[in-house]
Amino acid sequence: MPKQSHSKIPTPQPGETFHWNRYFTRRQFIKGSAAVLATAAAAAGGIKTGFKENQVAYASEETSGKTVAIPTICENCVWRCGAIAYVKDGILTKLEGNPEHPNSRGKLCPRGNAGIKVLYDPDRLQFPMIRAGERGSGLWRRVSWEEALDFTAENMQRIKDEHGPEAMIMSSTHNLTQPYFENLLNAFGTPNYGTQRSLCFNAMTIAFTYTYGIAQPGVDYDNCRYIIYTGRNLAEAISNSETQKMMEFAARGGKIVVLDPRFTITASKAVEWLPVKPGTDLAFFLAVNHVIVTEELYDRDFIEKHTVGFEKLKEALQSYSPEWAAERCEIDAGTIRRIAREFASYRPAAVAHPNWRTSNFRNSFQTQRAIAILNALMGNWGKPGGLTPEGEESGPELGSLPQPPYPKVRAPRLDGVPWKYPLVPLKYGVIQEIRDALLTGKPYQGKGWLVYRQNPLMSIPERRKTLTALKNLDFLAVIDILPNDTAYYADVILPESTYLERWDPIAPAGNKLFLRQPVVEPLYDTMSGLMILKELGKRLGLEDYFPYEKEQDIIKAQIAPFNIDFDELVKKGFYEVKESEDHEMHFQTKSGKVEINSSLLESVGEPGVPVWQEPPAPPEGQFYLLTGKVAQHSQFTTQNNQWLMELTPYNPLWINAAVAKRLGIKDNQKVVVESKVGKVISRANVTEAIRPDCVFLAAGFGHLSKALTIGYGAGVSNSALHETNTDKLSGCQALSETFVTVKPLNSEEIAGGETS
Amino acid sequence: MSKRYGFVMLVYRCIDCKACQVACWAENEVPLGKTRNWITRDGYRGTFPHLSVDYLPGNCMHCDNAPCVSVCPTGASSKREDGIVAVNYKKCIGCKYCMVACPYDARYFHPEKEVADKCTMCKHRLAEGKEPACVTTCVGGARVFGDLNDPHSRVSKLLRKHRHKVLLPEQGTKPSIYYIMERPQEGGNLE
Repeated sequence: MPKQSHSKIPTPQPGETFHWNRYFTRRQFIKGSAAVLATAAAAAGGIKTGFKENQVAYASEETSGKTVAIPTICENCVWRCGAIAYVKDGILTKLEGNPEHPNSRGKLCPRGNAGIKVLYDPDRLQFPMIRAGERGSGLWRRVSWEEALDFTAENMQRIKDEHGPEAMIMSSTHNLTQPYFENLLNAFGTPNYGTQRSLCFNAMTIAFTYTYGIAQPGVDYDNCRYIIYTGRNLAEAISNSETQKMMEFAARGGKIVVLDPRFTITASKAVEWLPVKPGTDLAFFLAVNHVIVTEELYDRDFIEKHTVGFEKLKEALQSYSPEWAAERCEIDAGTIRRIAREFASYRPAAVAHPNWRTSNFRNSFQTQRAIAILNALMGNWGKPGGLTPEGEESGPELGSLPQPPYPKVRAPRLDGVPWKYPLVPLKYGVIQEIRDALLTGKPYQGKGWLVYRQNPLMSIPERRKTLTALKNLDFLAVIDILPNDTAYYADVILPESTYLERWDPIAPAGNKLFLRQPVVEPLYDTMSGLMILKELGKRLGLEDYFPYEKEQDIIKAQIAPFNIDFDELVKKGFYEVKESEDHEMHFQTKSGKVEINSSLLESVGEPGVPVWQEPPAPPEGQFYLLTGKVAQHSQFTTQNNQWLMELTPYNPLWINAAVAKRLGIKDNQKVVVESKVGKVISRANVTEAIRPDCVFLAAGFGHLSKALTIGYGAGVSNSALHETNTDKLSGCQALSETFVTVKPLNSEEIAGGETS
Repeated sequence: MSKRYGFVMLVYRCIDCKACQVACWAENEVPLGKTRNWITRDGYRGTFPHLSVDYLPGNCMHCDNAPCVSVCPTGASSKREDGIVAVNYKKCIGCKYCMVACPYDARYFHPEKEVADKCTMCKHRLAEGKEPACVTTCVGGARVFGDLNDPHSRVSKLLRKHRHKVLLPEQGTKPSIYYIMERPQEGGNLE
């Protein structure tokens, strides 16, 4: 980890020009000092915000010297755990899980616990700024909020007037403010919406949507007895409550089978680990389904009553015997047959987990369909120990503010939805295609991009291409809390308050409505996303779409259908809605049933049932490049967190011990990793815990922004190595279809860091 | 009978996420670069694909026969009746004898307070009826805390039911942290 320099450099005054690298790397921060609190007084530069109203715990005479507990919602990943913030004299001292919240159950993961270091990150964006030199020169000018917002809106309007609204791209990633971000883009009239989903779990959500009508079903862990995880590593890719439930399930003797080319921590807890060959989990599940159908081990009653297309499945599965699969997935036929029989013997308390990305190939959509169908064969839907309909979108229906209808959009989308990707929902999109459209100018040239708390430069494959695309834009605006990599190339940066300093819309969890509220006053001259979006809307003549004066107006409208006192909600942090008794078996699919055979897939000329799709394999001398998570980091957002970086300061390249020996690579030695599109210099983690034909790099590291003084220079980016391979059905980026060479770093090659 | 606090670590349930460490750093204002608790990896044992690994959460073992207490020249370190090995900062002269004596490397030198610091079992939280911060936040449910003198406590029940061990028994330190290494049998239960 690079050492932080702490020599004093004064904060730029409004209007002052400064250099990004020098300013950020020398900023000083003293936790809880009077100097820091004093800057808060300037917050939001005169624009009206509501952060002070209804606040229970700001430092006051009453609470002086006492610790106050404030309920809120964590945002150090997307799981939205209820948290309790402990605040003393305006300083956040501790975050704990809220026992009332079903996602945290009174516990926080390492990232949740480390939320304090998000608030007190020495490198936070402290004020709005406008570029003052060439793009990427690092020269910036501190400006007022008025100037920054005017500048942003003027540029957006100019692009709209000159090229149409569609020339403006807007992208944002899974957060509570996202509905209002969508409001801005829909009211503005652009169809070009980028989310993270095509780089994440599109294959799963689309497969389950077209099978069950629900994107992401849950699992009834309490009653389950047998679970198959496919590339889902809940012990390290922590989904707090689900990780807890998995470990409780395991500790009471539930059977876990894990398919993963790596011996992950989840695999180490399993009864059986199957080190499947990347991209061939599809073969495994086709064969499991084959055994269950041929040996008639399925739930006949469920299949007859609640599904369509079983006969077509039966026919398609004929050739997928365990022997056929064994040749492809390198799990022997006897094991496949035994697992299929065992699994079926536990039904309906047997679940093939919907996972996240499985092996992350273009065929992963088929894999997810095969998994969805395996669950249908078990008849486990809504049964004790089976899949549960509670997905991420479930919960009581909230109230909303009235607003005018959106203007009609005439232009096609840059990302090819639906003209190239007919099955991908508009709200998901295919963000990597937006980048490519910026480079080709087809179907038309995108001119501007508003990036809201996202880091496309780090997340989209082929980073070099993304950088060129960003540099070619007429206008790039970034809303964020940290001076991230994409922000470095922006024209204007609008600093948002962290989740511990702002109000957000209500987040339902189960039958409870939870509130995110500020636990301290904003430390700097920052605003909530809701207010930034409203202020932009106002300047774009779209004020009617943002009918609120302050954040609480939205929350009050959301809770209007319920009998809730707002002040009580603030104090308690949640409200419990009476649970509905609706347990009728109905599926939001075209047929109203579980679609084993998908009429939608057939309507676009694809087979309606899952079929084998041969995955590419690395040529001799190359490796599959696998990616995944570590428990201490969330995507690209936590590599500047002092505590998390102390625990996991970089991402070494995992390589199998026998292979490393053959290549003359020793543990911790520097290695050159090269794909078709990039090259990085990493350190080897020589281990038994990975297949010989694979190497692994955890995601999130290798930042380019020197302003991230803790994260810069730490680890390497796998986006620099990833090739762009998109599944035509789900739009999902196939992250594991990149193959690399690995060799020890020679002395003549320049040591240190990344060369792409 | 008075209370005698201790930990039982259900090793199988530890997922090495290190939430315990971050929670402790926040709760006890541990300086950057130092730690009062940890997770150590035992393994990988075997070769691909026949592997196993365990993760052992740890912190001060609050030994009944604590070397840090016997070497302390000022009486700053003491073993309390409730099982806690405590450090009196006012009496500590920062000689670091205890740090050398501890076979578990449980202590660190606090750069600002200039004392040998370590886990206190979060005695300030115990006084409020809470569990230690590391236990409260443990995602996998590996860290179990309680009164070893109370036969009805979860720690006592676990120790009665399962084989357990202490770390470095040959040192004769009689630690108050017990490790249960057992993996659950199918349909069995670690409780």
